[in-house]
Amino acid sequence: MALTSKDLKLVTNPLNMENPITVQVLGICSALAITVQMKSAVVMALSVTVVLIFSNLITSLLRNTIPNRIRIIVQLTIVAALVIIVDQILKAYVYDVSKQLSVFVGLIITNCILMGRLEAFAMGNKPLPSVLDAIGNGAGYGVILIIVAFLRELLGSGKIWGYQVVPDAFYEMGYVNNGLMILPPMALITVGTIIWVQRSRYKQLIEQNG
Amino acid sequence: MDTNSNSYIYIFSSVMVIIVAAALSLAATGLKERQDKNVEIEKKQNLLSCVLIESTVEDAEAKFDQHIVEKYTIDHQGKVVDAVDPFTIDMKAELAKSIEERHMPVFIAKLDDGSTKTIIPVRGTGLWGPIWGYVSLNDDNKTIYGAVFDHKSETPGLGAEISSYDQFQKQFEGKTIELGSYDPAKEAKQQAPVLAVTKGMGEGNPNAVDGISGGTITSKGVQYMLTDCLGFFSPYFNQTH
Amino acid sequence: MEELISIFVRSIFVDNMIFAYFLGMCSFLAVSKTVETSTGLGISVTFVLAITIPVNYLLEKYLLKEGALAWLDPSFAELDLSFLSFIMFIAVIASIVQLLEMVIEKISPALYAALGIFLPLIAVNCAILGAALFMQEREYSNIVEASVFGIGSGLGWFLAVVSIAAIREKMRYSDIPAPLRGLGITFILTGLMGMAFMSFMGFDI
Repeated sequence: MALTSKDLKLVTNPLNMENPITVQVLGICSALAITVQMKSAVVMALSVTVVLIFSNLITSLLRNTIPNRIRIIVQLTIVAALVIIVDQILKAYVYDVSKQLSVFVGLIITNCILMGRLEAFAMGNKPLPSVLDAIGNGAGYGVILIIVAFLRELLGSGKIWGYQVVPDAFYEMGYVNNGLMILPPMALITVGTIIWVQRSRYKQLIEQNG
Repeated sequence: MDTNSNSYIYIFSSVMVIIVAAALSLAATGLKERQDKNVEIEKKQNLLSCVLIESTVEDAEAKFDQHIVEKYTIDHQGKVVDAVDPFTIDMKAELAKSIEERHMPVFIAKLDDGSTKTIIPVRGTGLWGPIWGYVSLNDDNKTIYGAVFDHKSETPGLGAEISSYDQFQKQFEGKTIELGSYDPAKEAKQQAPVLAVTKGMGEGNPNAVDGISGGTITSKGVQYMLTDCLGFFSPYFNQTH
Repeated sequence: MEELISIFVRSIFVDNMIFAYFLGMCSFLAVSKTVETSTGLGISVTFVLAITIPVNYLLEKYLLKEGALAWLDPSFAELDLSFLSFIMFIAVIASIVQLLEMVIEKISPALYAALGIFLPLIAVNCAILGAALFMQEREYSNIVEASVFGIGSGLGWFLAVVSIAAIREKMRYSDIPAPLRGLGITFILTGLMGMAFMSFMGFDI
């Protein structure tokens, strides 16, 4: 089965013009707290994407059988069950990262991207487009997370992926890591700046009456 | 089929609950052994790194058996209690008990150079949740040979740095603990620290280490934890001298 | 008592759900346009937290924690159901929210008119589940402490959303660079507020 250009759009659109974080404003809750280091951001992005793909797929397969009145609870159950499985797998195979993510793995359940995409897309579409939509949105979420984590880790602790990248000579010349970058407020300000940059390039995203 | 009828909803939810429950218990029980193993290996690695022996997940068990030569369970008077296996002692449960009923483990490590170190477990509260670790002491029971700390949920990059060797744990080596004025009846906050963890004090001071900038409450938590847990062992240290 | 006051103050100011953890950001960004709607949502969040945290605490203590089932029969002491906690917490939250909606509708139509539209939103508000997970993580020693933590976190969220809404209302009259309007400036604003709240951090009662 070949992918049509419409299918492809489902994947590429969320990367930029319909980015779940900066445009759709979904899933910010769990996103920012774990962006201090690249590694935890990547694991988080992967976990969210995996959960999103499977929950979109399952919901889409079941979409005609789910009773309308209890659909939110059903969606929540699907997501929660998947998140528990992911959490168990993280604990068994990447124990150190799972310790860092702590409660934020659990918070994937209430990550608005999941409920948002399930309600808005998977409930009304066939499995294949739903999976593509999930991949796109997961990736769009991951991209922002990784950019924020990259900036915060680089400026905040002079490292990337846990490795020192700012040479010692800089520190000897008086360069100091910006401790503010690793504090929570800077995550918000970094995202705010990303939105600013994105909207200056794509004027149609500007809000008219903010 | 009417998907909104009550009976359909009941059937749907029952089937869903059964499937979800089955999948989850399968995942949990299937992975449990591996998870428990992770926890056990981590504990052994922590004990080893506390006496500055590096180990990997693979060789941790062999090195543990080689270097950790003795382990005891100690009560509040410093006496050895036989009933409990020191390795499985749950520090959280012990610290919740009154001091008279408390049992704590001690591990004795023998290093390659023939010296022996005493390893003491510590546990306390950081900013967001529990913190714990191990401190190893030289023969004199006063000088710290090494220390490791870990945490459940301290802020990454800030309080979480207590688990970093270069940033934090390294400083403890060679510092002296001061148990002279320890009073088990008082809370850790209200007495002189066994070892101060305060920003800007560590340099050249044998009885203090630098706290973490931005992680003041976690650093204080480490100080209280050391006071509480090392203090508990002061009768034991007095006896072994 | 001292301990309770400390938990209360800390959960409002120091461990503020929004400024320190970014929890409940989605609904926060959506409603913080006007003070009126944000007050409504803020009260609902506080209300729901005040009820769900103690319930989840009991659940955790007598059902989920390792050895928690020992009260039923000593042979259950080895059982550890904590892997079920996510799904149990969210189920409790969702059903309590549903229940509250029905009860409020019956006994106080006026309150229902004010809070009604927000209640369904709250079931998936990260702040509610987040608070339950933090409650579990921090191991509060009794139900009173847990409830105080629940109420405090709710009030903290309330305070945050109302103050940001007040600023956003004023900001409508200022000249913000076009690309920053709306979402962008709200993020930056929340970041700045977060910095201000960080000064409560050293605070020890």
